[in-house]
Amino acid sequence: MIKIVTATTLPVGSTVALVELCNQFNARGLATTLYGPDVWHLDKCAAAAIDEFRPEKGDVIILNRINLVSLSELDNLPAKIAAAQKPNRFASLKDALLASAPLARKSEAFKLVLTCVGDDSCLSQATRFPLFDKIHLVHAVQRGRRSAPPSFTCPSFLRDLERSARKPEKVAGVLGSICASNRVDAAIESAFRDGMATVIVYGLMSDPVYYYRTIEPLTKGYPGRIKYAGFVTNRQKVYDSVSDVYCAVSKPGSPVQRECAATNTRFHGPDPADGGHPLSNDQIFEIWKKELEL
Amino acid sequence: MKSFEADFYRLCNLLAAREPFAFNRFSDGELYILQDKELILDVQQVKVGDKVTEGIYKEEDHKRFNPQEHSFFRDRLVDAFRYTKKNYFKGLSCRCCVGEENFQWQLDFHGGYDENFTWANLLVNGNYGKFIREMYPLFSEYKTVFVCNEKAELSVMPFITKDFRVGYNAMVNDYGLIQTMKEWIDENNVRGHLFLFSASSFSKLAIHQLYDHCDLNTYIDVGTTLNAFMGMRVDRTYLKSYWLGAKGKDLHKICIW
Repeated sequence: MIKIVTATTLPVGSTVALVELCNQFNARGLATTLYGPDVWHLDKCAAAAIDEFRPEKGDVIILNRINLVSLSELDNLPAKIAAAQKPNRFASLKDALLASAPLARKSEAFKLVLTCVGDDSCLSQATRFPLFDKIHLVHAVQRGRRSAPPSFTCPSFLRDLERSARKPEKVAGVLGSICASNRVDAAIESAFRDGMATVIVYGLMSDPVYYYRTIEPLTKGYPGRIKYAGFVTNRQKVYDSVSDVYCAVSKPGSPVQRECAATNTRFHGPDPADGGHPLSNDQIFEIWKKELEL
Repeated sequence: MKSFEADFYRLCNLLAAREPFAFNRFSDGELYILQDKELILDVQQVKVGDKVTEGIYKEEDHKRFNPQEHSFFRDRLVDAFRYTKKNYFKGLSCRCCVGEENFQWQLDFHGGYDENFTWANLLVNGNYGKFIREMYPLFSEYKTVFVCNEKAELSVMPFITKDFRVGYNAMVNDYGLIQTMKEWIDENNVRGHLFLFSASSFSKLAIHQLYDHCDLNTYIDVGTTLNAFMGMRVDRTYLKSYWLGAKGKDLHKICIW
């Protein structure tokens, strides 16, 4: 059994990628379940609540956004995740202490894989790499950030998207969670500088205070031209509704650029265009199969 | 045992499944009107029955209910409160917010338990983050009609295809709009639409009568929950906590039944 376990199943990019991973594995005959603390994922794939997760002999467990200190923590992940979400001003001190703790050992009963999808911090000092059999990176640039144990690079599966039959004119989309680190405001301003008539913001309201301080005043500065739709699950509908997509931050490994190409949507962002042909889902699956030795 | 979170997801799932329903809310203001108490909410005073305190309400929130003068509208509110139909959900003021006595009064006044009772606060307090993150995006799946104050600015919400406007004390002053909306629904064969209401006590009468008139649309009283997208003030405590980061416990409050 393959068990994907993540600390958030709110509708953000990493959750979408893990849902797709789960669906692609199941469609190809690998029994897989996605476990998470929220409810959004429950009807998107073979899924369960986090408290139903149990590590069992023979499992392949793929962890995301969970800073595991010891294997025993797998027996009570809800508590682990809840504790991690509480503000902790001693977090960096704790990380340093953990880093100097005796080396942890891998499990002999199951295979443990850490996936860094949507989470660059998984390569931080605090991660206890010896617990893991493999590290999954979504882009080679992550490898350069820290030398981790055996890792493999593999992009996220691509969702089934078609070229938009009809595109609106000069309607920009800004895709991603609403938070300062995504620089949503800069992406909006960039779209208007390029002459876009309207900007639709699609993304989870991760930081409402940032929205109200930064985006809400922009809606007054560009009256009637900025719209907020939230995270819309139907991605085809999202891409059909815009002519261009703007992104203000570098996101290596993000599928947005590939999705723009698939839907005939112009992409504007700091990441250079991926050269060559993107991997097909069959090719992506073959990488996973080889790396997980399935 | 009723669950504040499970009831929220019940509505969320109906919305996602495109199964029509109505969510009507009877908050403390409606409770006082149902109790036939004089109610004045304005900039100078807040009067509930004989009790008078300092006024805090801006013009769009002004409300005036005089039991003698406005008995017709109170009767319509009673109709809305006692109405029972499949998928007609009634949000009551909970005991943790209006006290045990008032909570029990509502149940007694209703006469008999309704399986579609839920919380008036279902979309706020501990569920507000979920409402913005998980229910708001579902509105994009619908042709959405918004019923709100004439001062509201709606251009931020991309899903709105039609709006109806009300002024202050709309339950009394704009009552005729309900008939106008019924006619618009009939003339345009409006089915499968979503109607969102942010029009104080007017919403309660309208949601009841429109769902009774055509139960093939969905009607939700969103109250002040979307103020941040409407250019309206975010001065309720739960709004201040969520949008301004003000300290407060509302966003963690799980209302009890």
